[in-house]
Amino acid sequence: MTVKEDDVASPGRPEKIKAVPVRHYGRWVAVVVIAYIAVWAIWSVAHNKRFHWDVIWFYIRNDSVINAIGTTLELTFIAMLMGVVGGVLLAIMRLSPNPVISGVAWLYIWVFRGTPVLVQILLWGFISALVPRLSFGIPFGPSFFHFSANTVITPLVAGCLGLGLNEAAYMSEIVRAGILSVDPGQEEASHALGMGRTLTMRRIILPQAMRVIIPPTGNEVISMLKTSSLVSAIAVSDLLYTVQIIYGRTYQTIPLLLVASFYYLVLTSILTIGQFFLERYFGRGLAQRKTMLERLWFNLRGGFR
Amino acid sequence: MSDVPVEEVPEQEVTNLVVKAEGVHKRFGRLEVLQGIDLEVREREVMCIIGPSGSGKSTFLRCINHLEKIDAGRLWVNGHLMGYRQHGNKIYELREKEVAAQRREIGMVFQRFNLFPHMTALQNVMEAPCRVKREPRGKVAERARALLDQVGLGDKMNGYPGQLSGGQQQRVAIARALAMQPKLMLFDEPTSALDPELVGDVLSVMKNLALGGMTMVVVTHEMGFAREVGDSLVFMDGGVILESGNPREVLADPQHPRTQDFLSKVL
Repeated sequence: MTVKEDDVASPGRPEKIKAVPVRHYGRWVAVVVIAYIAVWAIWSVAHNKRFHWDVIWFYIRNDSVINAIGTTLELTFIAMLMGVVGGVLLAIMRLSPNPVISGVAWLYIWVFRGTPVLVQILLWGFISALVPRLSFGIPFGPSFFHFSANTVITPLVAGCLGLGLNEAAYMSEIVRAGILSVDPGQEEASHALGMGRTLTMRRIILPQAMRVIIPPTGNEVISMLKTSSLVSAIAVSDLLYTVQIIYGRTYQTIPLLLVASFYYLVLTSILTIGQFFLERYFGRGLAQRKTMLERLWFNLRGGFR
Repeated sequence: MSDVPVEEVPEQEVTNLVVKAEGVHKRFGRLEVLQGIDLEVREREVMCIIGPSGSGKSTFLRCINHLEKIDAGRLWVNGHLMGYRQHGNKIYELREKEVAAQRREIGMVFQRFNLFPHMTALQNVMEAPCRVKREPRGKVAERARALLDQVGLGDKMNGYPGQLSGGQQQRVAIARALAMQPKLMLFDEPTSALDPELVGDVLSVMKNLALGGMTMVVVTHEMGFAREVGDSLVFMDGGVILESGNPREVLADPQHPRTQDFLSKVL
């Protein structure tokens, strides 16, 4: 039986409460103060000649800047791909019953998480000083073909290696946490059905671990987009390095850094929206913890009563 | 429960032993959970294991399909030594794949169901026959539908475990174990996590399975089920079997003082 919300007249049912909601006067005061500060900030930025809005507007449409966005996205994509694939492998190795394999994974994570990513990028950038010639063959035995390290490890490749191998160490911890979050009963049920360890991991454990893995991975993508700017140290023409080249020539440092900031902000905003939908998809059916955007939306709709 | 006459096991089918345990020991660290279990389960027999919690009855059940390694003794299922191979006096551990192959013959139903939550009921039932036995999908789907019909869930095939009640989930879990066409079914307190209202549905599925001739080892607190469906009853406490025999006799007239004490509290 359903009872209509407004059905006040139904016999025996007390009248619906029409209470005066609590007034949040503090919120209105905060709105006034913050609006005042915001107007002042916008006014002073707009009237500060040293921002050079004309220069910003000019370089926002500059071809080399637009191309540099492509390089930044490429770096982010390749490094994250290396990070996710490497991270899953490392996490499975860490949880392996074979002590040698789990030890190797532990060693990798120890080294790559324990040194700054900028140092790693620089090391890959200057790899030819360490290994001038790369050869493929049997260690201590014959080599079949070889390259000069400088022709194979271009700055872009070095940047991808530095970012991707470092990211794999971080992703492995995320994936490991995801795998450990799956109820051990799932593994038991799968083993009891005669499924082996590989099949259990692939069909039963990993699909369930995804729910825990996806949200922090979204964070890692956003973080990687910004961290990729470190490759400017080895002269990869990403977004930051490109504006550095331009302001090195024109001395318009601040406007060009603002151009780069603008594009980083646009890209991370797009990724944040994507993350919002991914989290909602993978969190379905669970006790929902509201994401930042959902909380914002909720506050805008219902917070001011 | 109604008083359905218990099927008498014909004499000529009694010869085959499905489970044979000799002096099975198991310890977790310093705690000796099993201290020498000897028992035999014949083909088509329904054996119920009862006892207080911590008595080792669930651990023993998990030893049967080698989810737990035994420390001493021998345990055979369908004539195979579980988890090991013996050559002369030496005993060799089996590879993971060989253990998995042994487990295909043994179905197991858990207290907490352990259905795969990211798969529908039908997919849960089809997963192992398709992936482990590599049977053709069409054939498996047909059998899976028949099994879900058999446990009374013909209309819930495409539901996810989260959308099913505990009793329905447990019946899917039974169908999932049966889909591998096992020779032995193990039940680890299958009704302990259920609302009292839903226990009957699961027990009646188990009773039909027993009447169909399935060999079953059931760890349970359902004395009614043990009395009505069980062919034999084992009472365990402190890692040993204290009393065993015909369930109707043991439940009516327990001999060991510990059994008398336990039954006086649960009946």
